[in-house]
Amino acid sequence: MSVRPRVQPWAAGAFGLRIQTLISIVIPVVITALLVVSSKLDISLAVIACYFPLQLLTAALVGWRNFKRRGVKDSILLVVASFLSILVLGLLFSVLFSVIGKGFETLTPHFVYQNNIYVDNNTPLEYGGVGHAILGTLLIVLLTTVVAVPLGIAMAIYLTTSRARHLGLVRTITQALSGLPSVVSGLFILAFMSVAGLERSGVTGAMALFPLMLPTVARVAEESLKLVPADLRQAALALGAPNYRAFFQVVLPAAKSGIVTAVLLGLARVVGETAPLILTTNANNGTNVNVFSGGIASLPTYVYGYLGSGYVTSQARAWGGALVLLILVGVLFGLARIFSRTKSTNSKSKKVK
Amino acid sequence: MAETETTQPKVAVRRKLQAGPLSRGDKWFFRGISAAANFAFVLVGLILTFLLIQAWPVLQAQGFGFIFGSTWKAEDGAKVVMQLGPMLWGSILIAITGIVLATPMAISFAYLIVFLLPKRIAKIATTLIDLLAALPSVVIGLWGLYVFTPVALHWAAILNRSLGWFPLFHVKDPSRPLTDSPFLAGWIVAVMIVPIITSVTREIFSQLDQGLINGALALGGSRFSVLRRVIIPNSAPGILGGILLGLGRAIGETVAILYVLQLSFNINWYSILEPRGGAVASWILARFGEASPAEFKGLMAAGLVLFVITLIVNSLANLIVNRSKANR
Repeated sequence: MSVRPRVQPWAAGAFGLRIQTLISIVIPVVITALLVVSSKLDISLAVIACYFPLQLLTAALVGWRNFKRRGVKDSILLVVASFLSILVLGLLFSVLFSVIGKGFETLTPHFVYQNNIYVDNNTPLEYGGVGHAILGTLLIVLLTTVVAVPLGIAMAIYLTTSRARHLGLVRTITQALSGLPSVVSGLFILAFMSVAGLERSGVTGAMALFPLMLPTVARVAEESLKLVPADLRQAALALGAPNYRAFFQVVLPAAKSGIVTAVLLGLARVVGETAPLILTTNANNGTNVNVFSGGIASLPTYVYGYLGSGYVTSQARAWGGALVLLILVGVLFGLARIFSRTKSTNSKSKKVK
Repeated sequence: MAETETTQPKVAVRRKLQAGPLSRGDKWFFRGISAAANFAFVLVGLILTFLLIQAWPVLQAQGFGFIFGSTWKAEDGAKVVMQLGPMLWGSILIAITGIVLATPMAISFAYLIVFLLPKRIAKIATTLIDLLAALPSVVIGLWGLYVFTPVALHWAAILNRSLGWFPLFHVKDPSRPLTDSPFLAGWIVAVMIVPIITSVTREIFSQLDQGLINGALALGGSRFSVLRRVIIPNSAPGILGGILLGLGRAIGETVAILYVLQLSFNINWYSILEPRGGAVASWILARFGEASPAEFKGLMAAGLVLFVITLIVNSLANLIVNRSKANR
């Protein structure tokens, strides 16, 4: 160690610090482990009541030894931040793994394509599936997207380019709308239906999802449009381009990945929404592709239907449906990521040519 | 100076500008986007109008008691009394619990991603949190009911045993299992809003001026002092925005907490471990299926109250956010 010439003068003592850090981590772990083994203490309790305070103490001691007061503050910050982050990861992985683990037992090819006709609580899992619900969800969400995305992006353009006096008010209202509870959105469409005399169908479900998707798309798209340098747009305008061409040919391509993110976050917001669909669509055990009439099933309402059921097979169906929903969300994310990546490499290769 | 002033108008006359404010395409473009932007007002107006049309008879009959009272009797025949108080306070209590639990976790996770982890791991964590932000509420509800509830009950019991003297964790009858408590619902809500707050905070953190942080470090700042004096003051409005997004979702959360709540009309002010409490949104969904036409209007009124509350809270908070942004 001492033979190597020091090319990084600030790294002097870094080795010793590393050793001390290692010791400060090992000691609390060993003590906690001994305590758990000897007194059969509950592990999660031991982590909170024994490991965490000890870790704080040892980290603070190391900090004090090397950097005095500021070292103490830094180490406590690090320990608390990592502890809370591990808690976040623990919770979220718990969700993922329980859905994947329990849903996987139910997930079979026929579970994905069959519908739920003639299935009751005692039907074995070999029969019935979520095919009808997948189709219904896709149809409803597609209908919502077709209307909400252009409108949301138009809102975002207005928020970034306009100099109207009530711009702040528009922004505040849009932001406030993004906190719209999903139940209220469902009730709103329900009230509208009873005034307009509409029947429950896929279209009313899509209408109920629309107010939830719109502000999300507008908000995220606005953020991404804001990141495009104003010089780009001004340069296009100075070259004689009209505003709309400056937007479609200069600003929009520059903000492409952000716009895709906006659409994605909007989709993610509505694809799992349950309450509006329970309020505005009729459940259906069979397949229905007619969004204008009749009951239409959707994945969230399918899972909701089996939630809290006492029957083992019904619970298994709920987990299976949840897994399919999770996979759907994952596929959407993956697709969009791949899509935006290929687009950006294309534009780069064009530049090279 | 005088020369340029005399020559300039001639040039301007000779050149024909293509992108004048009167270009037809632009006119339609601006008309289109301003119509879209004003649609936000139309949407809020429509929601208010339609809910009010349905809810007006109930609001008129119940008066202010609808918000503050705590009786709900909507059976046919008996005198109809619909008062939402306990559910309303329950929503607020659960949302506050969720925010208090979620905010420290989310901020430290974002801090770790942006400032501490190596780039590659940070990228993975970012993708993960973006994906997890999309977890449907019904999936969380399923997990909360079957997986999380046993764990949380264990912790609730420990909390009650060790800190039961403190009013917040006090329970009247400790022998009963502590299911269906606002504590449980608050945790589930927290799990739902952590990814939202994290992704917003992370974005704000990564947009911070790196020169500012490097400058603070060069002046001898430690990690803690940089966080406190540079990072937090510069990103506080953004973080508040993220918390607000979370709050909006927490107050309106319906399905995820429906099965871990006991919807009783016996108000629970602060004892978050007590198996008693409710939430407006969950109440609407729980009663919706079996409601008589009269009660249905009451539920519409509950939805209206929920909408007005979230609208006021969000607008007020956005105002604060925008003002602090202007100061920056």
